[in-house]
Amino acid sequence: MEVNAGRASSGHRRPRPGALRPAARSVVFATTGLCILALWEILGRTVLPSFMARPLGILRAIPAVLTASPSLGLTMQTTFWRDLGTTLGAIVEGMVVGTAAGALLGLVMGRVREVQWFFSVYIRGLYSLPLIALVPLVTLWLGYSPAARLAVIALSAFLPVAVTTADGAAATPQEHLDVGRVFGAKPYQVWFGIALPSALPYLMAGVQLGLARAITNAVAVEVLASVSGLGLSAFGFAQSFHQNAAFVYVLALALFAIGTRALVIAARRRFAAWDRS
Amino acid sequence: MTSTGKPRRRRNFRDEHADWIRVACYVLSVVLALGFWQATGNDFSVFFASFSETLSELWQLTVHGPIPRALATSGGVFGTGLGISIVGGIGLGLALARSKWLAAAFEGYVYLLYSIPTIMLVPFIFILMGFGFWPQVLIVVLIAMFPVYLGVLEGARSIPQELLDVAAIYRSTERQLWADVILPYVVPFAMTGVRQAIALALVGTLVAEFFLNTTGVAAILLEGMTSVNASEVLAVTLLVAIIAVVLVALGQLVERWLVRWK
Repeated sequence: MEVNAGRASSGHRRPRPGALRPAARSVVFATTGLCILALWEILGRTVLPSFMARPLGILRAIPAVLTASPSLGLTMQTTFWRDLGTTLGAIVEGMVVGTAAGALLGLVMGRVREVQWFFSVYIRGLYSLPLIALVPLVTLWLGYSPAARLAVIALSAFLPVAVTTADGAAATPQEHLDVGRVFGAKPYQVWFGIALPSALPYLMAGVQLGLARAITNAVAVEVLASVSGLGLSAFGFAQSFHQNAAFVYVLALALFAIGTRALVIAARRRFAAWDRS
Repeated sequence: MTSTGKPRRRRNFRDEHADWIRVACYVLSVVLALGFWQATGNDFSVFFASFSETLSELWQLTVHGPIPRALATSGGVFGTGLGISIVGGIGLGLALARSKWLAAAFEGYVYLLYSIPTIMLVPFIFILMGFGFWPQVLIVVLIAMFPVYLGVLEGARSIPQELLDVAAIYRSTERQLWADVILPYVVPFAMTGVRQAIALALVGTLVAEFFLNTTGVAAILLEGMTSVNASEVLAVTLLVAIIAVVLVALGQLVERWLVRWK
């Protein structure tokens, strides 16, 4: 929707012939949603296995999950809120650590080409590798522990941020650097005052990429290495025929993904706009 | 590069011999890393294996072990999933770009599905479809299709109105419009998506093999992890890394070739 609106205003000089009015669009959108939910509910009651998640069941499961009601019949020691805290906390912490380290290395790689050459084999090689393949190795080294989750999340942010920041720092406009030189800027002023700000939009693109990977990889570590959190609990509920409860966890993580991505995109716009002016 | 006048001579040296320095950097980085790997590997015992141990393990697993079969299994899931992702992504993107009704009805929900980390949907796919090849392919498609779809959508929506007007003036039929205007215009956009889809299909294959039913490459990795066999895990991880780098590079080559053709 958002993409559509942005394009209609910027890309086309004329409105697309016969484009729907916003009101009509919302009606179609809402109708489709209701139809999907109704179809899902009906299929859930008739064709699908009775323990399969369906909309009304999920709605009813929300209070049970949020209050850790004993009706869920689980022996797990965690609650929804504790799971939420540990998983989201780990994602935020890992993202911050990985982004800071990635930005620093990326800045050096972008400004000093010898460093770029030295690290590029590994940084770009690991960047292509699906990090989920590293989960067994990291688990072997760091144990079946939250540390393994944190390491994988930090790595998920580190690699894309390092690559994009290096590209951004290398693309710093020469005029900006010349102005810096004319005014006798110290090297650290050139790096953090000129190169880093001009690489910021690139850096944020890396953060956006890293965030999507970090969420998936966090769940992957939790399930493979039995680290307690949203992912492990969701899989546990789903496998013990509490699919409705499991879906509440899915929705919680999806909301987090949508919210944080919106934040990152907003930050990107801000930095990009400021960069252009 | 960053400093003022003083180190002029050094800068000239760096520029004159840039090619040599570049090669030296590559060689130095590889030699240092492999040397470090080899040296530390001997000390750590169970949890780490030296470079040479890893290589010989990789050789053993390839010649006498499960790697060829595993690669065939994983490759089947990867290839089928990627193929369906490309065809499906192009179809969905074109449909939503060309029909205002479909766009209004489904674009928001496609975005919603995209926002749900697919890994969380694995248990539901299992309950619905069980174990097997096609549920695994579905997981790959759910992860890999979106960039193709988004690329095609963006491409088809950015077709200049003039092109469509010209086609209309010459009384193009709907079929000609698609074959001569829309598809050629959209191909480069689709390729950008395909390049991303290759990397994502790798992720999808591993997610499907780790979490739905343990098959292929992921099965060897998991077996090595639970039996604390570092050389096995390292060998297979190295193999996956090499395959990933090659596939991503291939995707970039194809994209560059197609964009040049445009």
